[in-house]
Amino acid sequence: MASSPFPAAFIRFSATPQNPNKKSRKAPPITISTNRSCIDVVHLRELLHASGHSCHRFPTVGADGRPEPVDLGKLSRAVAHSPVVVSVFCKSNFPLGDQDPGGISRFTGFEQMFERAVSVPDPDSLLIGFGRAVTDGGLTASIHDVVVMPSLQRLGIGRKIVQRLVRVLTSREIYDISALCSTEERLFFRACGFGDDMLGSTTMMYTRTAPSGQEGESMTKQAGRMLLLAPPSTRRGSD
Amino acid sequence: MFQVSLSQESVQAQSTYLCLDWKRATKVCPLKANFWDSIRSGFLKNNNTTEVIEPPSTPPEDEEPLPQEFVLTERTQPDGTVEEIVFSSGGDVDVYDLQALCDKVGWPRRPPSKVATALKNSYMVATLHAINRSSGSEGNDRKQLIGMARATSDHAFNATIWDVLVDPSYQGRGLGKALIEQMIRALLQRDIGNITLFADDKVVDFYRNLGFEPDPQGIKGMFWYPRY
Repeated sequence: MASSPFPAAFIRFSATPQNPNKKSRKAPPITISTNRSCIDVVHLRELLHASGHSCHRFPTVGADGRPEPVDLGKLSRAVAHSPVVVSVFCKSNFPLGDQDPGGISRFTGFEQMFERAVSVPDPDSLLIGFGRAVTDGGLTASIHDVVVMPSLQRLGIGRKIVQRLVRVLTSREIYDISALCSTEERLFFRACGFGDDMLGSTTMMYTRTAPSGQEGESMTKQAGRMLLLAPPSTRRGSD
Repeated sequence: MFQVSLSQESVQAQSTYLCLDWKRATKVCPLKANFWDSIRSGFLKNNNTTEVIEPPSTPPEDEEPLPQEFVLTERTQPDGTVEEIVFSSGGDVDVYDLQALCDKVGWPRRPPSKVATALKNSYMVATLHAINRSSGSEGNDRKQLIGMARATSDHAFNATIWDVLVDPSYQGRGLGKALIEQMIRALLQRDIGNITLFADDKVVDFYRNLGFEPDPQGIKGMFWYPRY
């Protein structure tokens, strides 16, 4: 991709209100970055929790109906081993959602989203969106944990995150890009240009659980609310 | 170390490095130093360090699964030679041996360089080899790749199993089952709980028997379609 001196890329971002009955929502001044040094995992965990998103596919749900906050060490590890990460930031003086009593944006100025890589996290910026991709760098990739702060959803930010992930992957000639979707996420990914597998494959997940009360030598592992039962070891001598 | 620059959209932007070789990274680039800083800042609230810090040695729980190698089965052939089926994870797979195996099962060919990259950056590559040990003491053992499976993972939550295949002349003996079971054990051992695969119609029952469920709770895989 040709590098231009400045600005890196100005993408006009116009809010398309999804609900014309409500007053039109101003697009926030946001920056999108693939630079992983911007990511503060504590903030990421907060964003995931605020969005009601779990990294576990079968999460334990807390008293407030939201999945439990994710383990910070595991989250760090997951981000570290995702070769492509996308973060979206918003200026912290932008009113988010219902916290603005007058409903008047204190933000004046341009409504364009621009891309800029920041080398250190900007203290005035709030992490409001995220997505990551795991890939083997040659054949396949999978997209995980695409989240946008609830008050800023339905403005096209999530789609921008996925587009960016896809663009980075396809620039490395990786075209087999999958995303595991719950029923709710399917509509979103369809809008991002994803569809059912052309080859008609069936998505399957390991869900064998330990029957309650069964003890024994079998290894079990907690994955969210599932207690998965590992297959017995197949190590043996001659038949 | 395998480093590929992915995004160079503006001169002042720091390039995003597709750093795929985490474990063997020994050199520091400023980006990676900042990255480890930011990871640490997640734990220490008042971390204002600006010095370039070497990435710490991989924490113990971050290691990839321990490579294993052991004999699965052993049988004496009619001609007196002994055939061992050996399971191995962490060994190198010759791309052309793999290509020959893919030909046998009727899979379309893929560019060898891409396959090599994919294998190198997989979280786990498990293989089955048939070793025919000659009865003499000359050591004329024949070793042949007869099965493989691999998984990609973020080392924490998700793993996807790809490219599971067994030589047709060795199918029906529980070898594919052994491959997958070992892989699942290794993943669960590392607390990786979202284990996914995309199965052809013909093998859905095979995986069902191994504890996989189709579309559990409505979770389905979707795939990107290019738009021109």
